Amino acid sequence: MAKRHPRSIAATIVLAGWALLCLLPILFFASIALRPRNEIIAPKPIYFPTISTETWAKIWAEWPIGTYFMNSVIAVTGSVFLCLLLGIPAAYALARYRFKGREDLGFYILSTKMMAPAAVAIPIFVLFGQLKMLDTVWALMLVYAAMNLSIVVWIIRSYMLDIPHEIEDAARTDGASDLRILWEIIIPMCLPGIITAGVIAAIFAMNEYLFTLIIASKNAYPLSVALANFSGGSDGIIYNAIALVGFLAFFPALLLVILIQNHLSRGLTMGAVKG
Amino acid sequence: MTAASVPLRRRSPALRKAFPYLLLAPAVIYLLSITLWPGIYAIRRSLYTGKFKLDWVGFDNYVTLYSDNVFWTSLWNTLVLGSITLALEFLIAMGLAALVYRDPWVKSWRIIFLLPMLFMPSAVSFLWKLLFNDGRVISDVISRLGFDFGTIDFMSSTALARLVLIVTDVWQWTPFLFIIFVAALQGQDKEIEEAARLDGASWGSIFFNISLPMMRPVIAIALVLRGIDIITMFTPVHVITQGTPAGHTETLSYFIYRTAFKSFDQGYASAASVLLLITTVILAQTLVRRFFRSATE
Repeated sequence: MAKRHPRSIAATIVLAGWALLCLLPILFFASIALRPRNEIIAPKPIYFPTISTETWAKIWAEWPIGTYFMNSVIAVTGSVFLCLLLGIPAAYALARYRFKGREDLGFYILSTKMMAPAAVAIPIFVLFGQLKMLDTVWALMLVYAAMNLSIVVWIIRSYMLDIPHEIEDAARTDGASDLRILWEIIIPMCLPGIITAGVIAAIFAMNEYLFTLIIASKNAYPLSVALANFSGGSDGIIYNAIALVGFLAFFPALLLVILIQNHLSRGLTMGAVKG
Repeated sequence: MTAASVPLRRRSPALRKAFPYLLLAPAVIYLLSITLWPGIYAIRRSLYTGKFKLDWVGFDNYVTLYSDNVFWTSLWNTLVLGSITLALEFLIAMGLAALVYRDPWVKSWRIIFLLPMLFMPSAVSFLWKLLFNDGRVISDVISRLGFDFGTIDFMSSTALARLVLIVTDVWQWTPFLFIIFVAALQGQDKEIEEAARLDGASWGSIFFNISLPMMRPVIAIALVLRGIDIITMFTPVHVITQGTPAGHTETLSYFIYRTAFKSFDQGYASAASVLLLITTVILAQTLVRRFFRSATE
C-alpha cells in the first residue's frame, strides 16, 4: 500500500481547487453551446440557462460546419501521413547509422521546431500565392507537416533507440536488406512511438492558427480559424456556434490523448522524458 | 557494435555510405524549403518597400524599425507577457506535480488537469474573451465574492488586458508542463526518497534537495519548449485584445502579422521578421544543443 502523502488533506484541497478551475470554464463553455442565443450575453451572466439543442440546426444552416470539419480532417490527417512518410526513414537514419554530420542534421531538424511562425509567415504566404495554392487545404496540409516534422522525427527516433540491436543483427545475417529490416522489424516494434508522434502532430495541426489565418480565406477554413468568423453584424460574436465547434474538435483530441496517455510526456518532450 | 558495421550484401560501398543520407534527404529538403528559402526571401524582401511595385531601399526598413516606438513596445510586451506567463505556468505546474506524483489517484488528476490543453487555442481565447469581457462573468464572480467593482472593462487598462492574456495562456498550457513534471517525478527512484525519509528528512527537504535537482535537465527542456511557444504568442492576442489598449498587448508576432496583412507593408514587416528569425535561430541552436544532447543521447 502506497503511503499517503503528508498533509494530504491540504494537498487534496489544493488539487481539487485547481480541478475546479479547469472544469468550471469548460462546463460554462458547454452550457454556451447548449443555450439559446439571447441567453449568452445578458446584463447578468446566466449560469443555469434553458438547455436546448434547437440553435444547432440554425448554426448548421448558417455555417458550413460539415465542410470546415472535413477541411480540418483532410489537412490534419494528410499532414500526419506526410510527416510519418518523411519522418520514419529520417528517424531510422538518426537512430541506427553512424555517419558524418549525423548530429548536425539531427539538431537542424529539431531546431525547426523553435522557429517562430510569424517570422516565416510572409514568405509562406508569398510562396503559396506563387504556387496558386492560397485558400486550399493542400497548402494547410503542407504547412502543418513542415511544422510537425521535427517532433515526429525526434519522437520516433527516441523509440527506435530503445529497440535492441540483436534482433536486427540476426535478421541481417539471414540476408535481410536494411529497408526490409525497417519495414518488418523496426516499424512494428516502435509502433507505440509512431502512434504517439502521429497523435501529437495531429493535435498541434488541429490547433494551428497563424499560418491557417493567412492561407485560408474562405474555401479552406478548418475549425481552428472558421470559428473566429462566427459573427454576424448586429448579432456580434456568435458564441454558441464557437463553443459548438470548440467541442467538435475537443472530443476527437480527448479520445486520441486517452489512447496515448502513458506516452504523453515522452511525446511532448520529443523523447527526452520517458514514462 | 553499430548496425552499419555489419557488412551488407548486394550493395556497393558507395551506396552503403550514402544510404543514411538518402533516408534523411526527403525530410531535410522539405524542412529547408520552409526555413532556408523563407529566410532568404524575408531578408531580400526587407530591403524593398512598396506593395506591388517594389523599390529598393537598402536598410531603410531597419532604420525605421529602430526608431519605431510601436516595434519596441511590441518587443517589450512580448518579454513582459512571456516572462510572467512562463513563471506562473512553471510554478503552478511544479506545485501541482509535487502534490500529485505519489497520490494514488494520480491518473484521474492527470486527465482532469489535461483537459484545457485539448481545446483549440482559438476556442479557448474566445472562451476567456466571453468570461472576462463580453459575458461579464469574471466581474460577476468578483462581486459575488464581496468586492464590488461593478462591470469591469478588462480592455480598458494595460494591466488588465495583459492579465486576460496571461490567464488565458496559463489556463490552457500549464498542463503541458504539469504532464512532463509528473512523469519526471514518477520516473525517479523511490528508494532514495524512502531512504531519506527513514533518516528523518521532511517531505519538503526531500523534494527540494533530492527530487528537484535531479529534474534539472527535464525542467530545462520543458521550459525551452514552452518558452518558445509563449514568446511567439499570437492566437489570444488576435482573438481577444488585438493590441488594445493602445498597442500595450501587441506581441512581436502580432506586430508582424498586423504590419504585413492589415497595413500591407510587407517590406517593413519582413525587416521585423528577419530580426525575429535571427534571434530564434541563434536561441534554437544554442538551447537545443545544450539541453537536448544530454537528455536524449
